[in-house]
Amino acid sequence: MDNLTAADPTPITADASEFAPALESGQVTLSALTKRYGNRVDDPIAVDSVDLDIRAGEFVTLLGPSGCGKTSTLRMIAGFETPTSGHVTVDGTDMVSVPPNKRPMSMVFQSYALFPHLSVRQNVAYGLRLKKTSEKRLREEVDTALTIMNLMPYAERAPHQLSGGQQQRVALARALVMRPKVLLFDEPLSNLDAKLRVQMRNEIRRLQKRLGITSIFVTHDQDEAMTLSDRIVVMNQGRIEQIDVPEQVYRHPSSIFVADFIGRANFLDATLLVDPVDGRARAFALGLEREVATHPDVSLEGEVLLMVRPESVILTPNPAADSVHGEVGRVLSAIFHGESVEYEVETDTGSIVALVSDPAANEIFEPMDTVSVGIKADRGWLLPVHAES
Amino acid sequence: MAIPLIDAPVPDSVRATAPKLKRNGKSAKDPAVVILTTIVCAILLLIIGFPLYGLLTSAFAPKGLEVLARMVTDPVNHRIIANTLLLGLIVGTTGTLVGFLFAYAQVKVKFRGKRALHLLAMIPIVAPPFAVATAVITLFGRNGAITNGIFGWQADIYGLPGLTIVLSLSFFPVAYMNIRGMLESLDPSLDEAAAGLGASKLRVFFTVTIPMLVPGLAGSFLLLFVESIADLANPLVLGGDYTVLASRAYLAVTGEFNMQAGAAYSLTLMLPALLVFLVQRYWVSRKSVVSITGKPAGATEQISAPSIRIPVLVIVGFLAALIVSIYATVLAGGFLKVPGVNNELTLAHYQFVLAGLGSKAMVDTTILALIAAPIAGLLGMLIGWLVVRKLKRASGLIDFIGMLGLAIPGTVLGIGYLITYNKPVNIFGLQVFPALAGGSAILAGAVAIVMVYIARSLPSGQRAAVSALQQIHPAIEEASTSLGADSATTFRKVTLPLIQSALLTGLTFAFARSMTTLSPIVFLTTPGIKIMTSQILAEVDSGRFGNAFAYCTVLIGIVLLVILLLNVIIRKVVFRGQSHRR
Ligand SMILES: Nc1ncnc2c1ncn2[C@@H]1O[C@H](COP(=O)(O)OP(=O)(O)OP(=O)(O)O)[C@@H](O)[C@H]1O
Ligand SMILES: [Mg+2]
Repeated sequence: MDNLTAADPTPITADASEFAPALESGQVTLSALTKRYGNRVDDPIAVDSVDLDIRAGEFVTLLGPSGCGKTSTLRMIAGFETPTSGHVTVDGTDMVSVPPNKRPMSMVFQSYALFPHLSVRQNVAYGLRLKKTSEKRLREEVDTALTIMNLMPYAERAPHQLSGGQQQRVALARALVMRPKVLLFDEPLSNLDAKLRVQMRNEIRRLQKRLGITSIFVTHDQDEAMTLSDRIVVMNQGRIEQIDVPEQVYRHPSSIFVADFIGRANFLDATLLVDPVDGRARAFALGLEREVATHPDVSLEGEVLLMVRPESVILTPNPAADSVHGEVGRVLSAIFHGESVEYEVETDTGSIVALVSDPAANEIFEPMDTVSVGIKADRGWLLPVHAES
Repeated sequence: MAIPLIDAPVPDSVRATAPKLKRNGKSAKDPAVVILTTIVCAILLLIIGFPLYGLLTSAFAPKGLEVLARMVTDPVNHRIIANTLLLGLIVGTTGTLVGFLFAYAQVKVKFRGKRALHLLAMIPIVAPPFAVATAVITLFGRNGAITNGIFGWQADIYGLPGLTIVLSLSFFPVAYMNIRGMLESLDPSLDEAAAGLGASKLRVFFTVTIPMLVPGLAGSFLLLFVESIADLANPLVLGGDYTVLASRAYLAVTGEFNMQAGAAYSLTLMLPALLVFLVQRYWVSRKSVVSITGKPAGATEQISAPSIRIPVLVIVGFLAALIVSIYATVLAGGFLKVPGVNNELTLAHYQFVLAGLGSKAMVDTTILALIAAPIAGLLGMLIGWLVVRKLKRASGLIDFIGMLGLAIPGTVLGIGYLITYNKPVNIFGLQVFPALAGGSAILAGAVAIVMVYIARSLPSGQRAAVSALQQIHPAIEEASTSLGADSATTFRKVTLPLIQSALLTGLTFAFARSMTTLSPIVFLTTPGIKIMTSQILAEVDSGRFGNAFAYCTVLIGIVLLVILLLNVIIRKVVFRGQSHRR
């Protein structure tokens, strides 16, 4: 196995544009899509009235904790589960009455799901054979797919003679060769080791960009979602919490749940001083009055919290509780990660996690040191306490 | 019967615009699944449902009710019921014990000749029911070659003692296979952990191995219980005046020509069989702590400590010698004038079976079994696939009905067939098909025989398919769907090749079981069609043991030959070039 894994780092090359779908096709719409397993009305809802518009050629990730309904949503799109109610349309055609084998989609599975009794080439040819493609045409198409995925040397092998990464490429080649309008991925990388996972995800992204095939990708790995997606759909308990580009999801999460699920966050008690104007307002937090960006639901009526990412926290020596540095705190712990140091600091507002990157050797604080705690300008995000969606 | 399609609880606001939705996402939209399910249900109804229904109506007809009432009041019937249950209890226990000893020796004890021991344990599966009984009479009976010939002892083995020996030796392979599978999948690190705590080997055996095996032992006991109370052949030959329900029902039908009484006795027999089967299926198998599919986690340590090894090997060796002598008798007996009495060599018996009057039975039986086996094998695969993958609510029921062929005693099934199919089947005054069984049946009753073969041999393939499919990740079939294949294509191109060894198991057992089954057949043979097992019964009844032995040997030979051919055909031709990892 070891030498097989070592053979992996061959990037996907060749000209992939062969498999690009017709322009502007693959537009997917989910409307009020709902799934309830079991037939009683009080059975828990796995997917709860999901609305989603996916543009042709877009790469969308469904992200959320285990059991939030990502797989269920994807399987309803693929047709493996019938929605309890709601619609899936592709390019305006309602898919609900179309059986899964007739939908213009291909799915890539977490377990790769290669046919163990067929060779790599036969696996890739499987779908085309069913379409009664001519033998010559079939050979060309399969060869192209194998070449794109750098699988030519393994064409005659059985799936179990391949490494995990190679198996995943076969699965991808097998899906691509069908020229689907939509590619569906259910945690395809979670069985790979960390390094290979990063490499495969970059390749998937490159390939997808080049081909422009609409892709829906399920993962619970936020790193994967951030790096791959045009837009991220964050789900929680069957509902969509937020749909946005990765940067917005990270900087301006729509709820405490999203803020907490994606990256790490400090939530600090804060007091809103004036009603927000244009998404900004003045608030008192961490010993200072500051101007911060605010969630649209924030108003003078409700309680608010200030979200600050650990890397946006500034720690300074020479403690001085003044109008510039904010609050004074005591270092509880300091963990050296290599590229950064993680501190836990005790303040009057509560305990705060700070991540200081690339610290000089003489600037590392020790536990029990006293520091003043500030926030990088413009990095705070004011959230209503009960923002549920 | 089709699978239930139930409208989803869609809120009215949505229902207005949404097309009608079906609930069950697994199958609702796939016409192939609906068609296949309908076919399967129709077949199950024909081979099991109708005959059972016929039996029940007959048992509850006035004459049948009379007998049923006498079950409660008549001490003779109490005796018969007690005999039956006692036989089940004893054989269940001894058979399980023998199976356990063989399995334990095979998996855990160090000795040479494991392969031979394994083959020896499998012989009873391919042997017809009379082989052991007849050989035991020849060896150990009143004029037994060993009891009388060597020890000069007029042994009486008719009745319970003989039945116990013969049935235990005939049925223990079921227990052996069950328990061997369990022993193999037991995590050896458990043994090691216990040994590491300072437990001696003997204590490990009693405190770790045995408790882990309790579900397997209980399951084997129950299966053997069902098999032995259902057995007809041996009580007929060896029972003497030890009457059991199966032989009583046989007498009622063939001796007293009282069909309703036969049905009533059958019903009484079916109740404990069904009950025990249910317990085995829903209670014991659920309690099982060992995963049946689990691969051994490491090499099992072989015991070489004499305190365990010597007693186990001595007992197993004795039993093995007994089995060898029994089958040697079968083999040799066919060449002796009057086996055990006049041991002059002769070819007359084989001439009778292979070329003479007996050859029709050989041909008829083989042809019918060859027709039934592929149908039963494929049906088993299909039911397994529908049950594991495609059906939700109906799956438990269909699986259960398919397995009934194992639970319902053959006598019961045979009488049910005779009652239901001895006249044309009419629905609403329209003849659906002509009589299938009895004197006026089409094709001399061959259709009913094939049907009963299928019913009896379906369960082994079905069970093999279910457990094979449970080990195959469902995503593999979904991948095929996602690539454009419909359900039927997926089954043919992906599922079937992946469960080919289950298919092979199914076909093998189907053929062997069809060839060796007797209890339903005795009710269904007609002058126009001859079945080997019932011919053997006739030969044994009239004391022509030589012919019986020749029949048995030929039958075993045919079964082994066909199994061999099946292996070659399935592995080399049907799935050629599709090597896959096991
Ligand atoms: N076939 C099923 N029958 C009943 N309930 C189901 C079924 N499949 C999923 N569920 C339930 O629906 C909910 C959503 O499941 P789903 O598989 O969509 O989650 P997920 O977001 O993909 O989780 P994970 O990250 O663990 O894969 C869960 O509560 C799960 O228990
Ligand atoms: Mg999932």
